[in-house]
Amino acid sequence: MGTVHAAGWAATPAKLAGIFALDTERAALLAHQYGATQYFDIESLMANVDVVDICVPTYLHRDLVVQAAAAGKQIVCEKPLALSIEDGQSMIDAVEKAGVHLLIGHVVRFVPEYVLAKRTVDAGEIGQVGTMRLKRTGFQPRPKPENWYIDLSKSGGMMMDLMIHDYDYARWVAGDVEKVFAHNVRSVTPDAPGDYALVMLQHTNGAITNIEGAWSYPPPMFLTGLEIAGSAGLIEHPAASSVTIGIHMMETEKTTGPDVAVSSSPLAESPYTAEIRHFYDVLTGATTTLRVTAADALEAVRIALAAIESARTGRAVSTKEVA
Amino acid sequence: MRIGILSYAHGHAAGYLHALRAIADVEIIGLADDDAERGREFTAQFSERLYPSFEALLADQPDGVIVTAENSKHLPLVKLAAEAGAHILCEKPLATTVADGQQMLDTCQRAGVQLMTAFPMRFSPPAQEVKQLMDGGRLGRILGFNATNNGQCPWHERPWFVDKALAGGGAMMDHVVHVADLLRWYLGREVVEVYAQSNHILYPEVTTGVETAGQVMVTFDNGTFASIDCSWSRPLYYPTWGGLTVELVGEGGYVTLDAFKQKATIYSHKRQRGAYGFWGSNTDQGMIEEFTAVIREGRAPVVTGYDGLKATEIVEAAYRSVETGAPVKLPLS
Repeated sequence: MGTVHAAGWAATPAKLAGIFALDTERAALLAHQYGATQYFDIESLMANVDVVDICVPTYLHRDLVVQAAAAGKQIVCEKPLALSIEDGQSMIDAVEKAGVHLLIGHVVRFVPEYVLAKRTVDAGEIGQVGTMRLKRTGFQPRPKPENWYIDLSKSGGMMMDLMIHDYDYARWVAGDVEKVFAHNVRSVTPDAPGDYALVMLQHTNGAITNIEGAWSYPPPMFLTGLEIAGSAGLIEHPAASSVTIGIHMMETEKTTGPDVAVSSSPLAESPYTAEIRHFYDVLTGATTTLRVTAADALEAVRIALAAIESARTGRAVSTKEVA
Repeated sequence: MRIGILSYAHGHAAGYLHALRAIADVEIIGLADDDAERGREFTAQFSERLYPSFEALLADQPDGVIVTAENSKHLPLVKLAAEAGAHILCEKPLATTVADGQQMLDTCQRAGVQLMTAFPMRFSPPAQEVKQLMDGGRLGRILGFNATNNGQCPWHERPWFVDKALAGGGAMMDHVVHVADLLRWYLGREVVEVYAQSNHILYPEVTTGVETAGQVMVTFDNGTFASIDCSWSRPLYYPTWGGLTVELVGEGGYVTLDAFKQKATIYSHKRQRGAYGFWGSNTDQGMIEEFTAVIREGRAPVVTGYDGLKATEIVEAAYRSVETGAPVKLPLS
């Protein structure tokens, strides 16, 4: 994700000053590409920058954010904010005390079809939201030891790391969430794909959201979809409807089986770049309207924890219980 | 064989009539309706005989009847028909309560007549192909289903659909059973838990107090879970009435069913908007052929009154869950 963010910063007037990563080879490549300095410890990096952009695994967010805030740095951090309310709250406390920004990478708030749907709802075009259906389904991250995504203690698992996008989006569109009910299944065999969840959100205003999340589709499938029904209209954006070009090549001797890229929609600017540009505008004072606050990010974590608790216990879990 | 139709409350009666007409050995004896105007509308439109009462039609000793009355009237009509010795195809939902449904099953068993529930999805070729795929075993253990049966609120044509006394409820009563039955059939398993939420935000012009949207989560006895969205979330200007979709995630693969995707989009001066023209197979035909085969061959139907009862149990549990805010265990006591 650091690579993606680096490309985003390169599209702003900001100078990518330094890079630190445990994988020093990749850090060196990236530093070379953007003319940045490679650092071998975080303290030296922080001493030489105005803004830090944190793309480390989620379980490490808290310590780095607290450290950066204490150093008076402005902060950009990937989603999810944290793996617990306690961690998330202490991060928010730290940045408030330091008087710096904490901007969380909830990129779905910058993905064009999601932005269009949100704007359509806000314009009152479909009336009051009654039901929403959100889908984010892909294949299992490769089960390699160095892949932190599949380590529950590091990423929070699929219901946290992947589905957080849709908890946040549901709340952005239909408001606060009161109650959460969820079912989840994880594969019993390590080699078999299998992490699948259905989550139902009850919003305070009465709206109901269905969220489907999967790390269990056959590779290389990755689908997202959204549907919002309101008292005066309907927005449909089914999975795969953003696929604008189809490329189907004859098999050659060199190809072995299907070699299909993950579907993406060609855009002049990637949603990640749009996100980083927004962060740049916030940090330079060009805009005072934040698309997503740290408090929003914390509420998304709260919904995730309620969903995980519901799936574990079989109960409907109130978000008020999650502290 | 001689077949009668009891009530034109449900618009499906027209489709069933067309399906009956396509079967060589079927004689349609006519229709009876407790709403005289509705009865006249049907007979004027389709040139069939109108009986003055349900009793009069049944006195003509049909071999079978199709009950397309309002949901809460299924029980009295099924009782009447069973006592008259007619085999019965009953519109879904079979009943609005488990107690009613059980009475219907008991009455039919005592009378020695067959009771079939109108679940046309069992006769949908795309739905059947998914069943074959599942039975083939290649999908392995099924992790879950994400399913929808969304549609327009049918009250503009049939106001009783939003009258709780006649329909038994709103969108949950209308739309949960199709998917519930389909998933029971696919898995060959029973539901052991139901959780549901509903609201009345869509179709604010409906003022009878029934729910216009709902989402239901069910768990089967093998652990497979499923979501059923039964909302009337399609506006009246949507290009079609609605649809039924199932997404299935198994350890061996991912399968989608969009049962009404066989369509062309038609734009015309007349309509002034795009509309879907469905060109897939007519599921009513397969279902009505099965019902007539049941009568002809003197056997049980492939989709029974019991299947209707089990789907109704899931709906009743969903209403209880909405009331209590907690998951509800099945079987209901």
